[in-house]
Amino acid sequence: MTTPKSDLPQGTLDLLILKVVALGPLHGYAIAQRLQQISRDVVQVPQGSLYPALHRLENRNLLVAEWRLSDTGRDAKFYRLTRKGRAYMQDETDSWHRLTTAIGLILDAAEGEAS
Amino acid sequence: MTWLQRLLQRDRAERQLDAELRDHLERLVAEYRRAGFSESDARRKARLEFGGLEQVKEECRDVRGTRWLDEIAQDLRYGFRLLRQSPAFTFVAVASLALGIGANSAIFALVDDVLLKSLPVRDPQRLILLDDGAWTNPIWEQIRARQSEISGGATAWNEVRFDLSRAGATEFVEGLWTSGSFFDVLGVPAVLGRTFTAADDDRGGGPDGPVAVISYAFWQRRFGGEASVIGRTLTLDRTPFTIVGVTPPSFLGPSQGRSFDVAVPLGTQAIVRGPGHWLDARSTWVLSIMARLKPGQTAEQATLTLRAMQPQIREATLPDGWPQPMLAQYLSEGLTFVSAAAGPSGFRTRYEQPLWIIMAVVAIVLLIACANIANLMLARAASRRHELTLRLALGASRFRIARQLLVESLLLASLGAAFGLLFAQWGSRIIVRQLSTPRSTVVLDLTLDWRVVGFTALVAVLTALLFGVAPALRMRRVDPNDALKEQGRTFAGEGRYSIGTSLLAVQVALTLVLVVGAGLFVRTFEKLATLDIGIDKGAVLVVDVDISRTTASPEARHDLFERVRAAAAAVPGVTGAGFSLITPVSGAGWNGPVELPDRPEVPTRERMTFLNSATPGWFATYGTRLRAGRDFDARDVDGAPQVAIANETFIRRYVKGDPLGQTLRFERGPEGVQPVQIVGIVQDAAYRAVRDPIPPVLYLPLLQAHTDGPGRLSLSVRAASGSPALLTRSLAAAIGQVDPDLSLTFRPLAAFVDGALVRERLLAMLSGFFGGLALLLAGIGLYGMTSYSVSRRRAEIGIRMALGAHSSRVVALMFRRIAWPLGLGLVAGAALSYWASQYVTTLLYNLDARDPATFIGAALFLSVVSAIAAWLPARRAARIDPARVLREA
Repeated sequence: MTTPKSDLPQGTLDLLILKVVALGPLHGYAIAQRLQQISRDVVQVPQGSLYPALHRLENRNLLVAEWRLSDTGRDAKFYRLTRKGRAYMQDETDSWHRLTTAIGLILDAAEGEAS
Repeated sequence: MTWLQRLLQRDRAERQLDAELRDHLERLVAEYRRAGFSESDARRKARLEFGGLEQVKEECRDVRGTRWLDEIAQDLRYGFRLLRQSPAFTFVAVASLALGIGANSAIFALVDDVLLKSLPVRDPQRLILLDDGAWTNPIWEQIRARQSEISGGATAWNEVRFDLSRAGATEFVEGLWTSGSFFDVLGVPAVLGRTFTAADDDRGGGPDGPVAVISYAFWQRRFGGEASVIGRTLTLDRTPFTIVGVTPPSFLGPSQGRSFDVAVPLGTQAIVRGPGHWLDARSTWVLSIMARLKPGQTAEQATLTLRAMQPQIREATLPDGWPQPMLAQYLSEGLTFVSAAAGPSGFRTRYEQPLWIIMAVVAIVLLIACANIANLMLARAASRRHELTLRLALGASRFRIARQLLVESLLLASLGAAFGLLFAQWGSRIIVRQLSTPRSTVVLDLTLDWRVVGFTALVAVLTALLFGVAPALRMRRVDPNDALKEQGRTFAGEGRYSIGTSLLAVQVALTLVLVVGAGLFVRTFEKLATLDIGIDKGAVLVVDVDISRTTASPEARHDLFERVRAAAAAVPGVTGAGFSLITPVSGAGWNGPVELPDRPEVPTRERMTFLNSATPGWFATYGTRLRAGRDFDARDVDGAPQVAIANETFIRRYVKGDPLGQTLRFERGPEGVQPVQIVGIVQDAAYRAVRDPIPPVLYLPLLQAHTDGPGRLSLSVRAASGSPALLTRSLAAAIGQVDPDLSLTFRPLAAFVDGALVRERLLAMLSGFFGGLALLLAGIGLYGMTSYSVSRRRAEIGIRMALGAHSSRVVALMFRRIAWPLGLGLVAGAALSYWASQYVTTLLYNLDARDPATFIGAALFLSVVSAIAAWLPARRAARIDPARVLREA
């Protein structure tokens, strides 16, 4: 069946959204789909909770939104990364890598000692 | 987007949010349909996966950052609805707040204008004033010659009244004699035309002849704001002046409490007053002298520069005919500059203390009003307990509920402040009108400016916090579980020391302070108003007679005055008329040292006597009784032996043995020391002011005192009956027959006496009014508190009565509830009044600020008012029908 689903660590949803949007303007539904696809269904987010995060990023000027005609024939709100958003994403990605590397090192080292 | 934009575009944002989320849902539904689900299953699954739509929306709104505004709008709507539901509460609360806040704003407007504001001129902080008091024109001319060394420019002025009329009855305007540099030094430009130049100030007028600058208000009032006013002629004291400029509306003149209509250069006085001008007079102390500091200069540096020049300035301006010791003092007294940002103002010095006291009084009134409303709100919060706890139980946060209560308080305070501002506008104008006297009209700039509005807003917020915090704090202690179980049925719920009780005690204490203060000021005024000042103030009309513009030669002047006196005395309804140099209680004075041959060691300062000169019959006109000897008569003319009449204080202080017939010597200015023989003694009568102790006064016969004939004298006319002001018309006609060129000013003596008591009357009026208001508020507070406790203890009282308690016992029970706060409040209030009394001592007359009778009377009065306020609802409690209460239970 499906793999066990994990909760998203605090604060990482913003980074994931930025990463997904970095590839090109997307509307909310597409972002949700993409998040699911990329994370191979490991990461489970209630799709509604995406929106407060999107609006927060828009308020912080990391994303801009515009209404455009979409494939359904209705107008949809497309989000795009701003220059500030790109810089922010870079910083956050770097610090995430540093953090995970450090945690990985600690975890490996601890295992090595135990065995 | 700022949150303000987001707020303004709230509807659009809502629509977009809805569209965005629905779009997402529709796409989910579509996907499930494609996967083969039925329409309804697809919809259900999509909703499950998406989560609660409204919840998501709410979270998105949170992110938007305008939710608190929405909620406050909600609170406000709810608050309004609640206020409408209980109109009685709303009325009492808003009315007491409006009175409290309005009183504060009104007094603040006065305090601000009189005590806090700077002159509306350029860089008022750089202005310095020559301290202290008035200077002669020769001194000013010395300083003018050195002004560029001393400072960055100096100016001098004198406040006068000019007569606008061309003949007959006078029409006064407020005038200024100013130096040519006046407007330049103050930095006041002309809005129309030009201001003065140094050349305008030349004696007898500059290149354009005598010129005048008029104030904006006068321009509007008299000339309807026409631009053609420049070049028009204005007659001042019968001299034509050309108007050259208009000052800005903000500039009311150099000192607070007064405004000016017309300013003319000092030098033109040589034409206006003719030989009577004081431009060269070395003992006429009338000018205020102000200077502007050079860049970087301080007042101390300017003083040092001035002190270096002082010997030359003093030497060049030595007053004539002064005795040696006074001249020595004149030479040595150091000249000093002080900061003058607010301009010099006798008005300010006179009213500084009373204004601060009244400011404290109105602040206390507001505190009492706050205590009242806090109590009302507490009572309401208790009766709304069920509603509020229900909301808590339904998930509202405590913060949200406390905020709701604060918003309601703020709403009340804002309503109160809005009405209060209206009340303040009206109130401060009334007060200013009360301040004006016949000698000077008080004009203050009381337009509603941002300072007053800002102050009012601040006060409103503070009051809202004051009375809103107590109920809000209380809310925090409520446990929803208990409160819901309780369901409003309580027996004697609150303890003896609840917040309400302490608020009541505070209220009583503060009210007592105000009632004591009102008692002191009202008694002071009453004492002064009924004081025997040795003159019949109600019967006398004073006519200023100015003959300086007539053609009469100095020798003929006495004859002219005598004809005027005879004409006035012949008018029907007049029982007496007499001239004097000085009008009693007008504030004017004339003094000189008496020689005491047997006590040469007494310094000059302690040998001074006040002087006045009068015609025969003058004492009778004023109703001042002759104690011994005779009045002046036809014998006392120039050339005859010099005589004088002394008052009782003079005799007590300076004369030993039988005074009649004794000769004494005193300084009479240029004529030097003169011997005079005492021929009469009169009762002590007020001289300069009503409230000063009556000084020693020596009266001289007019014909002997002023052999050259003065330019103006004060004619006092006694009316047989009725108001002396009614004689004005017939007197003007009779005197006009003698010489139509005389200029006359009519004022009842009572106006002078009342004018001298303006400060006392104002203090008595305001403290009485606010004391009464405080009593009313405290009464309402006690009434509310007792009726609230009656309604809460209905069931208990019913049971007590059913068990046989007599109705008087029930009333006593209710009274016991207020006995504590009342007693505590009275003790605290008495202590507070005792402490505060130190600040009012100087304003009282013949009354100790800790007068026990006033204290006890105030406490009794307050107790009676409290008892009545508590008795009304307590009586209701005694009428409770036990049967009905028990059935309800």
